[in-house]
Amino acid sequence: MNKESLTSGAPTRTRWTGAKAVVAASLAVSSIALVGLGSASVAGASSSKKITIAFVVGAEADPFFISMNAGAQAEATKLHVDLIWQGNPSQYSPSTQIPVVQQVTTQLASAKPSALVLGPTDPKALEPYVKVAVKKHIPVFNVDSQDASLKNITGFVTGNNAQGGQAAADALAGAMGYTAGKTYNVVVGMTSPTATTNVLRYDGFKAEIAKKYPGIKILAEAYSQSSPTTANTNIQNWLTEYSQSSKTPLNGIFAIDGTNAEGAASALQAGGLACSKTVCGSGHVALVGYDAYSSNVSLLSSGVFAALIAQDPYQEGIDSVFNAYTYLKTGKLPKGVSKTTTLPNVTLLPTSNSTFLAKYTYATA
Amino acid sequence: MSIIVDPVQESSFEKPDRSQLWYRRLLANQQFLLLLVTIAIFVFFAFNRHVFASAGEFGNNVTNFCTLVLLGVGETYVIATGGIDLSVGSTVSLSGVVGAIAMEHLAMHSELLVLSVGTVVCIGIGILVGVVNSALIHYARLVPFVATLVTWGAGAGMCLVLTGGAPIGQNSGAIALTVPKIWIFSYPALIIIAITFVAGLFLHLSRFGRFTFAVGSNAFAARAVGINVKRQVTSVYVLSGALAGITGMFVYMRLGSGAPTAGTGQELIAIAAVVIGGARLTGGSARLSGTVIAAWMITIVSSGLIFMNVSPNYNQVAVALLIATAATAQALRKSARQSS
Repeated sequence: MNKESLTSGAPTRTRWTGAKAVVAASLAVSSIALVGLGSASVAGASSSKKITIAFVVGAEADPFFISMNAGAQAEATKLHVDLIWQGNPSQYSPSTQIPVVQQVTTQLASAKPSALVLGPTDPKALEPYVKVAVKKHIPVFNVDSQDASLKNITGFVTGNNAQGGQAAADALAGAMGYTAGKTYNVVVGMTSPTATTNVLRYDGFKAEIAKKYPGIKILAEAYSQSSPTTANTNIQNWLTEYSQSSKTPLNGIFAIDGTNAEGAASALQAGGLACSKTVCGSGHVALVGYDAYSSNVSLLSSGVFAALIAQDPYQEGIDSVFNAYTYLKTGKLPKGVSKTTTLPNVTLLPTSNSTFLAKYTYATA
Repeated sequence: MSIIVDPVQESSFEKPDRSQLWYRRLLANQQFLLLLVTIAIFVFFAFNRHVFASAGEFGNNVTNFCTLVLLGVGETYVIATGGIDLSVGSTVSLSGVVGAIAMEHLAMHSELLVLSVGTVVCIGIGILVGVVNSALIHYARLVPFVATLVTWGAGAGMCLVLTGGAPIGQNSGAIALTVPKIWIFSYPALIIIAITFVAGLFLHLSRFGRFTFAVGSNAFAARAVGINVKRQVTSVYVLSGALAGITGMFVYMRLGSGAPTAGTGQELIAIAAVVIGGARLTGGSARLSGTVIAAWMITIVSSGLIFMNVSPNYNQVAVALLIATAATAQALRKSARQSS
């Protein structure tokens, strides 16, 4: 039977319903696109003499980028420049980012633009659009992630993910009370085997273990595909397979991003294996997470996380705007700043003081 | 398809064959085959990793099963009417997020009050989404696929707007409640299993269930015999939304927080469970027992692949193969019935 007849009541109307459905579908699609563009804050581009810096990031509603936005906006206000902030709300993918970049560069062309700061969601896919912008004499900067070739890029500010992975290994070894000659079993919760930040962090983690902690054995990796529920399921299963009474009891978890951190923390609490502020020894599983979401920071204070590795998106925002501003004014990057600036990742501990924690906790909109 | 094909009637129609050809009937029964395959999969995993057959792992699987089964139940009702509900995944996230916000405001009160209010809010959000879905279907005259695509997108977007991308709240008490207390079952899991059981009886034994199949089988005929098709379809979408809301609360309890991506992608897994369970996507025929067995099968396949350290990408391939097999089995069964 025809599904449309359910809703229309008479067969002659079926075609109408179909046509309406098409219209509605295209409306839905365009409204989704509008959400992508419309939710961005466009700081008034009224005066044409004023410097306008456009920022295009990946997943705009991610607290990481919200923090970056806050830093960029603060610096822009300080320097009296206009900031255009754009990005798809949630999808970190070139297919949603490319239209945004295209739209921004054409918008910039009519508004006599100044500079574009881009956090490319793919190292290769965005390169042609960077070329277009450069041809229009718009200097392009990279932030957080980079184009495969930095040839057309004026400056690049990023967090040091490999160093963050190393710091995670050190923190985890410390939390497990690492002593040479003993064996420690560890699993790693990732989002996907290919996400570049995951890969860099994991490589740093593995390198540090190989160098300093030969007793740490990585038993397995599991992938959450950006869902905390899946991350929870993964860890739950590992806790059963590597239970404390088995031959290979689990000692530690490295949760490579915020989603995995959330899933791992809840699974450990449900399993009664989470550390507390005072106790974290045998019978407990030490957890080191990434990304300072406020809910994760509160679990750090209670000891469930032995450490959280935080990036510094706020500073990335500030530096990017300042670099672009200085370049537009002087034709050069600020004194002492090289083409690539790498900001270290920070280790937050349960013992860190509250001002320090507050500084690195990611903002929410 | 001019007559109303109710599976219950179908089986009574074939009664005379029962004594002679019981084994043929059994092998032609998709639910029975599904059960055999599920047991085979379980034995395979348990053989490879003995811990897979432990009470602890059963407990994990029950918890995972409970995050999926009610979505499958709601989807079974919807698909029985010939519709589809794509919004359930984002309804899980949205209800969990809104529930978490409400519960944050009540954090000073007793745990019981907080969780009760949270549950009511979650179900309320689910019902709201169901009402919007049926309004879009009846008044904006959208086909169910498009109507629920709209609420799917809007729900996912609302989650990000409300949370700013980060999870809301930290409730260790809620997490503790999802730990198995009675053998492999936690209290919320028992409630969800009870709801599933009642929903199954309701679909196959009540007048409401018969009307649901009638609408999906032939909406004109259903209208002609005096069934209020509009009301029936509305009730079914509201039911699906409410069940997604309950799932949202359960996922909140598992994570101890309302996460904006908690239910991402769940709608397709729920639809897969319904299809593997033997329902016809064109409506009029579905078996809730099939959906339940399929949901259990999908759950153990996912867990088993984690145990074998297989990438989740293969998990998707595995579920796809199950769908293809189930659909083929259904088609073969249909042609066998027509030729006999």
